Amino acid sequence: MLWIKNGIVIDPKNKVDGEKMDVFIKDGKIVDESEVNKEECKVIDANNKLVVAGGVEMHAHIAGSKINVGRTMRPEEMRIVRHTANKLRVSLGRVLLTSPAIGYEYAKIGYTTAVEAASPPIGSPHTHEELDAIPIVDKAMLPVFGNWHFVFKYVAEKDREKLKAFIAWAIERTKGYGVKVVNPGGVEAWMYGGNVKNLEDEVPNWGVTPKEIITELVKSNEELDLPHSVHLHCNNLGNPGNYQTTIETMKLVSGLANKKRQTLHVTHVQFNAYAGSSWRDVASGAEEIAKVVNSMDNVTIDMGQAIFGHATAMTGDAPFQFTLHKLTGSRWVNKDSEIEGGAGIVPIVYLPKNPVHALQWAIGLELGLLVDSDKVVLTTDYPNGGPFTEYPYVMAMLMSRKMREKELERVSPYVQKATSLPAIEVEKTLYDVIQMTRSLPARVMGMENKGHLGIGADADVAIYSINPDDVDPAAQYELINSEFRKPVYTIKGGEIVVKDGAVVAESWGRTFWVDARKKVSLESIDEDLNSFFSSYYTIQRKNYGIQEEWLRNPVRVEVN
Amino acid sequence: MLILKPKFEFDVSVEAELTPELAEKSLEEIKNFRVWYGKFEKTLGELFDVQKEGDGKKLLLDGDFSKVKWVGSGMDDGEIVIKGNIGANCGAYMKGGRITIEGNADDWLGAEMKGGEIIVNGNAKNLIGCAYYGNPSGMQGGKILIEGDAGNYIGEKMAGGTIEIKGNAGDFIGTEMKGGEIIIHGDCGYAGGDMKSGTIKIGGEFDLLPTFRKSEDGWTGDILVGGEGKILKI
Repeated sequence: MLWIKNGIVIDPKNKVDGEKMDVFIKDGKIVDESEVNKEECKVIDANNKLVVAGGVEMHAHIAGSKINVGRTMRPEEMRIVRHTANKLRVSLGRVLLTSPAIGYEYAKIGYTTAVEAASPPIGSPHTHEELDAIPIVDKAMLPVFGNWHFVFKYVAEKDREKLKAFIAWAIERTKGYGVKVVNPGGVEAWMYGGNVKNLEDEVPNWGVTPKEIITELVKSNEELDLPHSVHLHCNNLGNPGNYQTTIETMKLVSGLANKKRQTLHVTHVQFNAYAGSSWRDVASGAEEIAKVVNSMDNVTIDMGQAIFGHATAMTGDAPFQFTLHKLTGSRWVNKDSEIEGGAGIVPIVYLPKNPVHALQWAIGLELGLLVDSDKVVLTTDYPNGGPFTEYPYVMAMLMSRKMREKELERVSPYVQKATSLPAIEVEKTLYDVIQMTRSLPARVMGMENKGHLGIGADADVAIYSINPDDVDPAAQYELINSEFRKPVYTIKGGEIVVKDGAVVAESWGRTFWVDARKKVSLESIDEDLNSFFSSYYTIQRKNYGIQEEWLRNPVRVEVN
Repeated sequence: MLILKPKFEFDVSVEAELTPELAEKSLEEIKNFRVWYGKFEKTLGELFDVQKEGDGKKLLLDGDFSKVKWVGSGMDDGEIVIKGNIGANCGAYMKGGRITIEGNADDWLGAEMKGGEIIVNGNAKNLIGCAYYGNPSGMQGGKILIEGDAGNYIGEKMAGGTIEIKGNAGDFIGTEMKGGEIIIHGDCGYAGGDMKSGTIKIGGEFDLLPTFRKSEDGWTGDILVGGEGKILKI
């Protein structure tokens, strides 16, 4: 039992904005004062300190074949030693961290939940093994659907019942959490050396379009009522002029509604918010996108903020990774996953003086500033845009125009004419950034017990040495940037895991997965599964997927 | 000047980033300098006899140092003289000063060095002036002179500076080279694979890749990567 005393709480989900109050923890949950025996509580003095829920990372690449191949192809990343083995596991990595380092580094900035945002379905046993090797944080993973032959087939046949059955089957087999879609149709086209540019382009051999794939997946996802909406990486990513594709895509879901959450989450939008017609006249399309997002009540986005320095691009968007390799001349690996999709990896360094990199950096911030705080989640699309360990920098930037002005001095002047960042006066509040890093991502993911401090919530708490009553984030941006990097305490499931910015204990989080089998008829797709496995797969159907008992700490979320 | 002699024959490698600045410290500080002996952290005094003569920025390594790695790593000034053989990574990341090796050198000699001078009176092994795996550039400046022979992968991803080998060398000379100069007086195997720029001068026999074009005074390539590197006969 824990008693967090006199903290100043910001809890956007429960509309608490800087109220001095006590938080009680029992059996890994936040409980009412009446449920604890105060004399038996361990007391944490949070006087004049900020008390918030543990951070929720809703889009990062932290486990699976992509990041592991990335580690193999980037030995230089493994030369930075973060922890030598003693009480804790050894942890390595500059930006591309090893599994233990991922858990520790999240805890060290006050984050307690992290979602792997794209797992090739056939690789899910590996993904889960790696997730199980990440200490402290709670986890979930999203298998990719947008280029899976079954999806094309059922979309082409306009058979939504079978598509729903397939989604439920696939999510159960992979122990996944929701429907991820990456460049729908484009990765399939890539297998013939092409890509799809527009929502109306046909996918080779299938006679379906990205528009149909997205619409059908969204409608199936809604009819199944999964906790998370479709999680979409748009077509045309990384190409000048793509902001229009992004806007057209968002409009596909207008008319759909869900009381609990959005009906479409568009991810790392920074990479999909470019205006212009080539890299010579590329500019920001963030303002237009922000207008559309703000006008719709069923779409959320995350930033995909670029951070200056080392990063590694890795996505299920194989054709884009090839383009990036050609553009930068950097190393490149592409991976195909049978009839399910593909992925690519390319190392990258974002340089402030490079006009394109500076533009990407500025667009991420524009999105963070111009989109309402209950619709945009703070992410770097780790490790694509940069390390998640820089979230405090992004938080400070969103809160301080003065800091942005200072940073603008060191970046390419190209951003002055190609973006609106220098003119943006918005300064987000502490409440806003706590919303963007806690309550909103939890709501986007449909994780009811995460991201807030209400009764019954998971006892994931971060305490920072910031006094909301006293601090002026716009002026004291350095304090914000440094204090969010070293929580006084990170508490995960009621256990103190970080004290004064250092990891003090190792715990093992849970892995959430969604079971929607009750809502569908699995028999309806049985024959198709058998036929696809015998004809096209390298493994047999009975060997496909994973059993719940193989996971270290599974939590089944049943959809009724 | 600081004189170091191994106290016993090392069973496993010693990782000691010894630079000439060490000679300027007090004897006690020098003896307490932390080094790794296999997986154990030791002090310099536990492994070596330490003797100090004056305050000059100079190290004299007397005896068999063939298991001692990272000597002169990152040094920017002063001098190191090695009376016998030296272990791997000697002079890696070096920025200035001079290292003289009277015996033989191991792998990774002068890897990623930026300046200064390394002279080897004996032979050297592989990967001289290379980039560590995954890094974009190898040697960027300075000079490495080897009186004897050298191994494979000399000057991979080299971007500047000079490597001169008086004897023969192995295969894969100047692979992915971007600048600088490699001079081999004797024979060598394949040279210049994927080279973009820079010069390789060879005195003896060597294997030419089919991706090099004959030019006025030698060959240009590697055309596979649109390179403008030069291979010249001397």
